Amino acid sequence: MADQTAVFEAVREGMIPAHVYNDREIFELERDRLFNRSWMFLAHESEIPDVGDYVVRHVLEDSFIVTRDNKGEVRVMFNMCLHRGMQVCRAEMGNASNFRCPYHGWSYRNDGRILGLPFHQEAYGGEEGFKKKGQTLLPAPSMDTYNGLIFISLDPDAEPLEDFLGDFKFYLDYYTKQSADGVEVRGPQRWRVKANWKIGAENFAGDMYHTPQTHTSVVEIGLFREPKAEKRKDGNTYWATSGGGTTYKLPPGTLEERLAYVGYPAEMIERMKESWSQDQLDVIGRDGFMISAASIFPNISLVHNWPKVEDTDSDEVLPFISLRQWQPISENETEVLSWFIVDKNAPEEFKALSYKAYLMCFGSTGMFEQDDVENWVSLTNTAAGSMARRLHLNSRMGMKMDGSEVVPALTKEQFAGPGKAYVGYGEYSQRNLLSKWADYLEREPEPAKGISLGGAIRGEQGRTSCSEEQNR
Amino acid sequence: MTTHYPIDARRSQLAGHASTTEKVGESLPFDDPRHLSAHRWIVEETYLLDEQRYQDWLATLADDIHYYMPVKVTTALGAGYDTAPGMAHFDENKYSLSRRVARFETEHAWTEDPPSRLRHFVTNVRTFATDNDDEIVVESATLLFRSRGDINEPAIVSAGRRDLLRRNGDGWLLARRHLAVDESVLRTQNLAIFL
Repeated sequence: MADQTAVFEAVREGMIPAHVYNDREIFELERDRLFNRSWMFLAHESEIPDVGDYVVRHVLEDSFIVTRDNKGEVRVMFNMCLHRGMQVCRAEMGNASNFRCPYHGWSYRNDGRILGLPFHQEAYGGEEGFKKKGQTLLPAPSMDTYNGLIFISLDPDAEPLEDFLGDFKFYLDYYTKQSADGVEVRGPQRWRVKANWKIGAENFAGDMYHTPQTHTSVVEIGLFREPKAEKRKDGNTYWATSGGGTTYKLPPGTLEERLAYVGYPAEMIERMKESWSQDQLDVIGRDGFMISAASIFPNISLVHNWPKVEDTDSDEVLPFISLRQWQPISENETEVLSWFIVDKNAPEEFKALSYKAYLMCFGSTGMFEQDDVENWVSLTNTAAGSMARRLHLNSRMGMKMDGSEVVPALTKEQFAGPGKAYVGYGEYSQRNLLSKWADYLEREPEPAKGISLGGAIRGEQGRTSCSEEQNR
Repeated sequence: MTTHYPIDARRSQLAGHASTTEKVGESLPFDDPRHLSAHRWIVEETYLLDEQRYQDWLATLADDIHYYMPVKVTTALGAGYDTAPGMAHFDENKYSLSRRVARFETEHAWTEDPPSRLRHFVTNVRTFATDNDDEIVVESATLLFRSRGDINEPAIVSAGRRDLLRRNGDGWLLARRHLAVDESVLRTQNLAIFL
């Protein structure tokens, strides 16, 4: 494998070798050193509200069943029969008390424990030959949740999720904790685009600069009043530990007036006041910034916008929130999973119109999203060639040649959010995201421990001792 | 055990305005004047869509149109549903469709500049009477071939359709379209097209 040191050095300078957006070797590094280690989003608890509910999700090629077991606990299990490796669940979603492998009939409870092993006595000599007791589908090496968002890491020694998310939790709450009961998440729409996964993540993390150009059409048709160039540059971009995003500058007013300006009804505003900290409220009420797009490293993004959803003469808008994952398929293909998010306690009419706003703007049919993907496919195509190996894309916006800042970072008095924030156009977040990417890709992978069942590989500890407690 | 779940608009939060007229009885004979006229209507429509004459297409839609394509999901046999709860690709009324059409008329809808080359293949057409003389149900299969740029792989979208056509003078207006898309993961970069 080629030495990529020069690539990582250039990326840290904000100069991006264009081929990283379509390069097999880079993609293999990403698989082995990034996606095998990082915390990865799988699902939201509200997608499996009832006992027995499940969804099947992926981390690259690895399929996982996310279930709510009979005790009501969320479990994430590798979707591979312990015997011959079949997928034990071949549906995307449903409700099941157990999963039966169609190949030889091994079955597993919805918490992963082996339930049935046909002819256990005759074929294996019972427990003495294959220890069934305590054996489970492989649990995700690490699993944790934040605001109901279920993450796993393939690294059993991953740092705690809360540490990984770090200060970005402050911003994540705007999208996923608008009231004490949290959100409901619907979807996802899934579709595949011939674009590299990093482009979307970078775009949502901080690209305010593309909005007035790429998304001109949605302003022209009266769907959206905000993305006009002069308005977009009044917002800020921020980066905090694991993620970054963009904001819009709101017109003068109180906290309540500003939340109403983007279309929240009074009762939702009251609940926001109860669930957000003073700093979280100050970002809006005192500082006048409203969160918009964001990305969490490595591959999930969020968006919050407020279009006009009904045919009226008034300027009335309604907000929606979307969560999406840029699931890498290869160096030049990405599966987009796009969910709609709405506060659980929102009025039903709000939920319906917010859903409509989402469909009109983002997702597979969204009028914002359509134009983005066209650009990203084109970029990915171009990045495959020889010339792209020579060109370093300039991602230094907001920074002068000598590394000094074009504008100073906002002070705590100007912006109550954690991390570092700057008003105006800049590629701060994109640089942060790709620097983090370089950190992961540079670090040699630790060899993953083998797992052998019923244990008979010499010199290796069998997994026969796997206790039930280990899965709790 | 059934493997077919007809699209149920009650699963949409945005169908309150839509007609609930259902088909009645067996399909009409292929020489029935209503079938012939409805068949002609949907063939004519494919030309509007292929040629991207979207304003003309919009004029063929009733004011209470519900244009609905739920997200298909793979579920176990006997699960009782095969679409994602509360989520669709399209869940449109006339206003939202009109915004989509208006966008294509700006000079900044990049996703269709250069435009896609589209070919809708519509077949398996059958027509049903309803409990009123002014409306008929038309079922069909559609296969969209979409090519973009010079070397990009083309995209194909396959879907079953159940339409409600309403009499309008000598012709028909589309009052409802339920689209059963045949893939859970779409292999096209977006749905900046209509089916």
